[in-house]
Amino acid sequence: METTNLVTKNLAEAKRPASGATETRTLDYHALNAMLNLYGANGELQLDKDREAARQYFLQHVNQNTVFFHSLEEKLDYLVEESYYEAKVLDQYSFAFVKALFEQAYAYKFRFPSFLGAFKYYTSYTLKTFDGKRYLERYEDRVCMVALTLARGDEALAKSLVDEIISGRFQPATPTFLNCGKQQRGELVSCFLLRIEDNMESIGRSINSALQLSKRGGGVAFLLTNIRESGAPIKRIENQSSGIIPIMKLLEDAFSYANQLGARQGAGAVYLNAHHPDILSFLDTKRENADEKIRIKTLSLGVTIPDITFELAKRNDDMYLFSPYDVERVYGVPFGDISVTEKYHEMVADARIRKQKINARAFFQTLAELQFESGYPYIMFEDTVNRANPIAGRINMSNLCSEILQVNTPTEYNDDLGYREMGQDISCNLGSMNIAKVMDAGNIGTSVEIAIRGLTAVSEMSNLSSVPSIAEGNAKSRAIGLGQMNLHGYLAREHIYYGSEEGLDFTNLYFYCVAFHALRASNRLAIENNNTFAGFEDSKYATGEFFDKYLEQEWLPRTEKVRGLFERSGIELPTQQDWQELKASVMAHGLYNRNLQAVPPTGSISYINHSTSSIHPVAARIEIRKEGKLGRVYYPAPFLNEENFDYFQDAYEIGPEKIIDTYAEASKHVDQGLSLTLFFPDTATTRDINKAQIYAWRKGIKTLYYIRLRQSALEGTEIEGCVSCTL
Amino acid sequence: MTTTQRLSRVNAINWNRLQDDKDLEVWNRLTSNFWLPEKVPLSNDIQSWNTLTQQEKQLTIRVFTGLTLLDTIQSSVGAPVLMEDARTPHEEAVYTNIAFMESVHARSYSSIFSTLCATRDVDDAFRWSEENPTLQAKSELILERYRSDDPLMRKVASVFLESFLFYSGFYLPMYWSSHAKLTNTADLIRLIIRDEAVHGYYIGYKFQQALAEATPERQQEVKDYAYELLLELYDNEVRYTESLYDEVGLSEDVKKFLHYNANKALMNLGYEPLFPSSVTDVDPTIMAALSPSANENHDFFSGSGSSYVIGKAIATEDDDWAF
Repeated sequence: METTNLVTKNLAEAKRPASGATETRTLDYHALNAMLNLYGANGELQLDKDREAARQYFLQHVNQNTVFFHSLEEKLDYLVEESYYEAKVLDQYSFAFVKALFEQAYAYKFRFPSFLGAFKYYTSYTLKTFDGKRYLERYEDRVCMVALTLARGDEALAKSLVDEIISGRFQPATPTFLNCGKQQRGELVSCFLLRIEDNMESIGRSINSALQLSKRGGGVAFLLTNIRESGAPIKRIENQSSGIIPIMKLLEDAFSYANQLGARQGAGAVYLNAHHPDILSFLDTKRENADEKIRIKTLSLGVTIPDITFELAKRNDDMYLFSPYDVERVYGVPFGDISVTEKYHEMVADARIRKQKINARAFFQTLAELQFESGYPYIMFEDTVNRANPIAGRINMSNLCSEILQVNTPTEYNDDLGYREMGQDISCNLGSMNIAKVMDAGNIGTSVEIAIRGLTAVSEMSNLSSVPSIAEGNAKSRAIGLGQMNLHGYLAREHIYYGSEEGLDFTNLYFYCVAFHALRASNRLAIENNNTFAGFEDSKYATGEFFDKYLEQEWLPRTEKVRGLFERSGIELPTQQDWQELKASVMAHGLYNRNLQAVPPTGSISYINHSTSSIHPVAARIEIRKEGKLGRVYYPAPFLNEENFDYFQDAYEIGPEKIIDTYAEASKHVDQGLSLTLFFPDTATTRDINKAQIYAWRKGIKTLYYIRLRQSALEGTEIEGCVSCTL
Repeated sequence: MTTTQRLSRVNAINWNRLQDDKDLEVWNRLTSNFWLPEKVPLSNDIQSWNTLTQQEKQLTIRVFTGLTLLDTIQSSVGAPVLMEDARTPHEEAVYTNIAFMESVHARSYSSIFSTLCATRDVDDAFRWSEENPTLQAKSELILERYRSDDPLMRKVASVFLESFLFYSGFYLPMYWSSHAKLTNTADLIRLIIRDEAVHGYYIGYKFQQALAEATPERQQEVKDYAYELLLELYDNEVRYTESLYDEVGLSEDVKKFLHYNANKALMNLGYEPLFPSSVTDVDPTIMAALSPSANENHDFFSGSGSSYVIGKAIATEDDDWAF
């Protein structure tokens, strides 16, 4: 078996330097990796040191700590018997097929191109013995187990999945890639969004949900907009409610209590509408000098901002904040389910609704101050999001990475916390494609379709019974989120500057292709299963309205360079004829998934996949990465070399406008959201941040994720020869 | 009598009339770097702390009590004596910031203790710090200079403390973090290092200005004193390092780090480095971990990082809202 050969061969290699290592001392892999952050003797980047670090990591650590098996059969039998692997995953296939599949994977001769990729994989993903000391899987084994799990007995699909994943074209998100096939595992889904209604039962349920979902992996976002403000009446007695802050405290504690088998802490976000009366105290929880009683350390914050807030700021008017308690009484629906823009003047005029006012520009400035201090809050442009949403219903929140945008409905509880009326909450499973690899292979239709099938399998296989409203939402929607990464790596390799005319042209057309093939794949699934997602009839897909933008104009390359890139890769751009046929088929047979695309920030998986994160520019040519389990590790931008060095301008050099322009191109073709981080030097002011926010809103961006600041060392205090100080 | 005289000389500080632009530059940097230990989710390190051996835990607590002592000296004695020698009112103001931040640093170690350690172990370590001869010797060497009436030597001592003496202690959290342990504690220490780097640089700058006005003989005298003090501190620091790190086998590596930082301290004073590069080749993981720049990337599962600053608030104008 290939496994055994590889291990013995590498062990033999490992012995060689030991005998003759008297003159040159072999550095350990951490030290070699750290040399990436220091210039070489002639001021050159020490990229080879990182490759050497990856190699030494295998020689010094991985190979010596990998359990040895004589054959694949022996290995799989052992892992099933000892409760490492789930028997029912393998039982769906003949052993001959499984063996052939592993051979297919090993024939690819996969090697990690960076130290961080290898280190991250072995620290966080691979199967280990229960005492955590020895490795039971190589990368190829993990890929095969993921494919076997998601293919659910379909041999052809299993082979295609192995092909797409091992080649790096498709990379399932962490929970899926980590957990598939293991018997002791968390859930396959990464991301959950839950409403909280304005009553104690709902609040209590949400704490329970936070615990349950953190235990199973992934992050949870909660909507706080519906909760009555501090000082609101309870049972008509005035000044009773303590508002949203104590709920945030409870949630924060719940998340830090529940960690996934010690793997990582639970993580959570809370979203609040800008016109909620507690908005300023909500933001103040992140102040550097906030009182310990109200300070929020690990919970992430998000604010939803409607168009009206921008209009008010433009006129330098005050903005009114409305009591959710009164709004719900007047309109009969929770605050989160009405459009503030639409009802603003009506609510201002309505004496039954208690209100306060703050200056709108001052609000935006406070927002920016907090983003300076803490990077938070995320922002969701509420009206942009709802205008672009083809599904009936209202989107009032996003998630921990601000890329999930789906409709939800409220749940009503009995006194015993049983369900009186089951609403729909949101889960989303994600996976990302490597743009460079997809372009190189030239078969984007297949790559997208296999990815969509893989993600759909995750949705269908997920057991989310611990939170019934999420199980309900998932069963009815089969929502998935296909993302993309390595945009900057690809552009730089092709000598295109990020955010340039050519860069924007490419981004537009690439996402145009993905949108077409994703819809076609979901349409095929609907035909095969003779089923659509619940609510398809009320969507703009069913009326055909969604397809207008693709039929009203032709989508073609604007630049020669980009035309050349698509020609070279052999990827044909969908024509209006193609769209016409797709529209007819969708209107006749529907779509299987309510949501298809969402572009996540891709942290860990982009290191394993050796790509640049998401469709962002690189944060640095040599990135310093800190994570709980890894400590500080250094990561070189993929494809970086001395020759294309200039094309890897970092995000701070590129500046917010080009990033926003790039995201605006992609947003046109993505049904959900895209995590968009903005980068500023520390010389920026709150006004610069506000200007970028206004620009993003005008360009039709749906959400903004973190604000990041880079402070360069004061002259005279830098570390000598340090790459990250001077680049 | 003297008190009244001093008080009568106090003029209202006018930040719009600067004698030295450096004062404002450093003031701005220090205030935008303001932080409190509550910012860092230290409790995320509890699991990691529990993976350390008893010996490693004891070493870590001792290192931090040593650092606490230095920060206490700097906050309650160092910065106030420098204030008396200030050349400009703005310089004096900068020292008030330095004094306060040193208190924050001292406070931070206690936050680490209360989050990670058992009270008895911490009490033991404080007792150890009071009885450890080399630790006491270094504080005595510095305090002696602070008490002297030579303003230049006070600055020299202060720079050595800020840029040299701290680092035998800073080594350990950087070492842990490069081995994926106590990474949030390392974030906090990196915030401290970020501050100390500016402090050492600024005091050194003020020293060089004062020195330039002295006679050549006096300059030579100060230089001799400075190297003499550094060597004295270095000898003691080597013993201190060995008493701490011998048990875990890191002493030789820490010494290289001492050499590197001793050179750095001398450079801050405008002097040539003392140690040749053959003995300053610090482990690259430690060097890379030190970097005070704020371009570290982290995810929301892992803590707050050491990169955020307090921003400059400027109101938007009508033009910005032209849409």
